[in-house]
Amino acid sequence: MRAAFSEALVRLAKSDPNVLLLTGDHGYALFDDFRRECPAQYINAGIAEQNMVGMAAGLARTGFRPFVYGLSAFIPVRVVEQIKLDVAHDKLPVVFIGDGAGFVYSHLGTSHQSTEDIACTRAIPYLSVYSPADRFEVTACMEMAYHSKAPVYLRMGKSDRGDVHVAVPEVRAGSLLEAKPGKASDITFIATGALVRIAVDIAADSYPNAAVWSAPFIKPIDSKHVTAICKQNRIVVVLEEHSVLGGVGSAIAEIASEFAPVRILRIGVRDRFSHHCGSYEYLLKEHGLDRPAIELRISNFLSAN
Amino acid sequence: MIPQSKAFDAKSLRKTVLDMAYAGSTVHIGCAFSIIDLLAVLYRNHLRYPGNDPIAAGRDYFVLSKGHGVMAQYACIRELGWLKDEAFTGYFANGSDLKGLSDSRIPGLEVTSGSLGHGFSVGVGMAMGAKLRGTDQKTYALVGDGEINEGPIWEGALFAAHHDLKDFMVIVDENGFQAMGSTQDVLKLGSIQAKFESFGFEAITIDGHDEVAIDGAITQLWASNSTAPKALIAKTVKGKGVDFMENNNIWHYTRLDPVTYAQALSAVAGSVQ
Repeated sequence: MRAAFSEALVRLAKSDPNVLLLTGDHGYALFDDFRRECPAQYINAGIAEQNMVGMAAGLARTGFRPFVYGLSAFIPVRVVEQIKLDVAHDKLPVVFIGDGAGFVYSHLGTSHQSTEDIACTRAIPYLSVYSPADRFEVTACMEMAYHSKAPVYLRMGKSDRGDVHVAVPEVRAGSLLEAKPGKASDITFIATGALVRIAVDIAADSYPNAAVWSAPFIKPIDSKHVTAICKQNRIVVVLEEHSVLGGVGSAIAEIASEFAPVRILRIGVRDRFSHHCGSYEYLLKEHGLDRPAIELRISNFLSAN
Repeated sequence: MIPQSKAFDAKSLRKTVLDMAYAGSTVHIGCAFSIIDLLAVLYRNHLRYPGNDPIAAGRDYFVLSKGHGVMAQYACIRELGWLKDEAFTGYFANGSDLKGLSDSRIPGLEVTSGSLGHGFSVGVGMAMGAKLRGTDQKTYALVGDGEINEGPIWEGALFAAHHDLKDFMVIVDENGFQAMGSTQDVLKLGSIQAKFESFGFEAITIDGHDEVAIDGAITQLWASNSTAPKALIAKTVKGKGVDFMENNNIWHYTRLDPVTYAQALSAVAGSVQ
């Protein structure tokens, strides 16, 4: 997934000399190819994220196409106001890459874990929010971000969970992508990022008729498609490695409540920080986002509804 | 449209500010008066807008980072004829465009500011953009002395010096006051010139109401062979030009009434520039 990101960035930079990569002193090995292929388009802005985002706005105003890279805990969360005021207010074409979203930095604690970023960015006008699930979605999201010529936040979470597609999908703005086919039934799944893979696995084993939709485009999102999905199923399960407050589950519930009221189980981080340290798998377990815990919640929800 | 005078006479600019502030019953008069002589010199002698076009590709960039001084910039833009007269007479009317803080959707305003410590970094980015493109465009970022409490200013200063942004100039409006009191009482700044010099800037301190000194310092800084970014520290008086506003911080917040409006107009008309 990270290789797909690097490849897309190099490809875009080589085809458009206005593409610049700004990093806040992060991405040590990730940008080896970029630095080798496009050294003049690489700017390490130092450990100074606020200034980096302001500068990206200034560079965009002079015709450049900045991609601003950082860890999701910092880009966008540390610089929400710069994104709002310096970039989004004037719809400047700056793409923000927030890497390591969710619990990727499971051993490092709260400072590097990021489960508030979608909520922080969704409310910013004109800012699109993307959250790819695999390398193919990364490629599609990078192309979409570049061609949109508008501000985008692209969230990259745990990147080694396996593919959910077999090729780069055809996408439109707001598309939900079928990660597992299914039919109108008792239950369907909508997930984003790393949890799409878990959703597919759970559905394949336990709910073979259920479709799984990946939501790489959280904002804007195709509300007609969401409405149709909600209308065709009795229960919708939404999964995300993000707070249940303000994330994808919220976005789906907002649409459903207005156009297609349906029971929605929002599975995500339940308004808490990690208490302990451990592997990524351990952290998922601590937050009830491991496969057994998710399956139990779904079956309980099904029996209660 | 207002006939273009382009004289940028500081008395006329102050009168425009007073007229707007009275029409809109607005605050931040003192904040505009401390920078108005700086802006007069910049617009008259230095800022290049090819074809008098506020978005001309090769223009110099003037970034008002202390967005609360925006009435001073409106007054200059009025002389350039970039806005209709109603924009000024209808200041703060419902549905009007000119806000109490800088908004980049207004011709001539490069950034949306008001939240402090933003415009400086955007200006550094513009200067970096001009450098990458190999143009000779100058970028000016005007910040308040209170504003340089903000951390991104110093992040951007490091970057500007590291990347030899020689065509970037920060202008510090050192009026000695911020919203809640004197800078000395709130957060001591010490020597602003020494601070920017220590970050690698070439810096000059002048009287920010002496147009000859301002012009000379800007010219001197740009004439330097150094690749360092530039800092112009302007010692100013908050409320300059109206005796009862000068160094009186309540004019950060106070609105004009018919009596103070008349008194202020009279003070501006009688002041010796």
